[in-house]
Amino acid sequence: MTDNNQGSGYRLPEYPFRVPPEISEGPQARYPVVIVGGGLAGLAVACDLATRGVRAVLLDDDNTIGVRGLASRGITYAQKSLEIFQRLGIYERVKAKGVEWSHGKTLADRDVVYSFDLAATNVSAQPPFINIQQFYVEWFFVDRIYELGLTDLRWGNKVVGIAHEKDCVRLEIETSAGNYSLEAEWVLDASGVNSVVREGLHMPVTSQRGQDRWCISDIRFKLDAPLERWTWIEAPFNENRAVWQLPMGDGVWRLDYQMDANANPDEVSNEVVVRSRLRQQLGEDREFELVWVGPYAYKTQLLDNMRHGRVFFLGDAAHVMSPFGGRGGNSGIQDAENISWKLVTVLNGAAPETLLDSYHTERHLAAAHNIKTTSRTTRFLSPQSKTERILRDAVISLAREYPFARPLVNTGRMSVAFSYEASPFILSGGASVPNVPLTLANGTKVTLLDLFGQQNCFLAIWFSEAGLTVADVQTIERLQATEPMLKWVVYSAKNSATIEYGDAGAKLKHALAVEGDCVCLFRPDMHLAAKLAAPTSMQIRAALAQARGDIGAK
Amino acid sequence: MISAPHIPDPDGFYEALVNAHEQLNENDSAALNARLVLLLANQIGDQNVLLECIAAARENLMRK
Repeated sequence: MTDNNQGSGYRLPEYPFRVPPEISEGPQARYPVVIVGGGLAGLAVACDLATRGVRAVLLDDDNTIGVRGLASRGITYAQKSLEIFQRLGIYERVKAKGVEWSHGKTLADRDVVYSFDLAATNVSAQPPFINIQQFYVEWFFVDRIYELGLTDLRWGNKVVGIAHEKDCVRLEIETSAGNYSLEAEWVLDASGVNSVVREGLHMPVTSQRGQDRWCISDIRFKLDAPLERWTWIEAPFNENRAVWQLPMGDGVWRLDYQMDANANPDEVSNEVVVRSRLRQQLGEDREFELVWVGPYAYKTQLLDNMRHGRVFFLGDAAHVMSPFGGRGGNSGIQDAENISWKLVTVLNGAAPETLLDSYHTERHLAAAHNIKTTSRTTRFLSPQSKTERILRDAVISLAREYPFARPLVNTGRMSVAFSYEASPFILSGGASVPNVPLTLANGTKVTLLDLFGQQNCFLAIWFSEAGLTVADVQTIERLQATEPMLKWVVYSAKNSATIEYGDAGAKLKHALAVEGDCVCLFRPDMHLAAKLAAPTSMQIRAALAQARGDIGAK
Repeated sequence: MISAPHIPDPDGFYEALVNAHEQLNENDSAALNARLVLLLANQIGDQNVLLECIAAARENLMRK
């Protein structure tokens, strides 16, 4: 994305620069965790650590949220991210400001050639998607981080150098008050696509530049269209190239136009050109306000290893993909959640350091999957040869007439939580379980997330049709004596239950594919780590050990 | 992938196939083939068979 911004934009908060104690007082003690970059992934990880009671220093080279102000960047936040927002305490604000949606349509000219609606199959307390400007999410994170009071947010602190030392990492930092260095036990680099940390450590990346050019126009106007994601694969008002139309907060709509592959970015984002292009779609009479314009060409880039010694890479610093399906921001938020609970568990001495290896294992698989998925969309949207064009035209033409061809129409597959079923740290399962609403035996309404408790522990749910036996109860008691960070819930029709069977419970059982009696073990990130039929305390302990990084257990 | 004969009336099928291309220029013929491949793929509906057929077609062409 270039800095070629026009339009009326937004007023964003500015945060004060404070002279770091290293400059005003001299060298400080080593910090356990230092985060580089205050974008989506960096703020999510700072907030996640703070909710778990862990202090961190966050270094950001800017003094506000957003990319140097106006850029609205990612706008679609998928269910898993919304569930994470709920846990981190910003969901209600996101919901109030954003636009909930579940229905997407793809059009060729005036014909709908593909559609989906995730509302009917949704079982989470959070909707399938909320669209909201990325800087609002970042803003809410900053407010929440200040409220939690455990993170030293250092605005105007630019990391310019990094080196591994014997048992720590040294960061060199530039500020307007002078330069300094600090020592960190662990560094979480979320400083984006041009990460200085990644470059400084000479981390190998695999990258590919896209040929396709696009131009975003975020505009404020009254549109009598439903709050849905519409994509034109061939828009008559854009020379039969693709157009995206998505609503977001403040009555702003994103109109994203596919440009000619040889288009000049400065020309296509020129205000006069933008306005005349919008007139093609909106007609001559409609009033609209240009909020932000940004031409872009995408690229894909994947770090070969998302960990280097004591440094972990999150978000765009680790992986970059084309924007189709909203997979960039959402996967950065999942990176943040994945490293947070693991790092805290290791810092608390409750897991071996091998648990931290699982961050790369799991999130690199996820990133590679996301890149593959978005690259397939790219291939469909911009055919690279005459034959590819013929095949795509055949798909669209058949899709107008025959339902079978509609699933082949690919204008982006929406972000879903990646399942870690291939992870060696998962005994069985691996999928993220939706935040299902439940009714406790005493009538209290909760959601699955609430069962993990304030400290966001591991959770075991014992599903038992007939109620637990004396031996089962002893199994739980034995584990409770040695595993304070494992919460227990019994789910039964009998009076030992803490959750009642009911419609919502049936949804949970369905989501977990629970048939007979069994114990389901969840990690703090709501991913299923094991499903065990009639387990002994030894078996549960082994599954827990595996999920905490002791993979000798498998 | 079935490689033993499986088409009940081979000559009738082949005739229908070439007839469908009659009076089409090269572009339209390619467009027709693309539609036909997609329609047939859906009749097969088995991912492994489809991938095997794609590989077999390409390998056969390369051996030419």
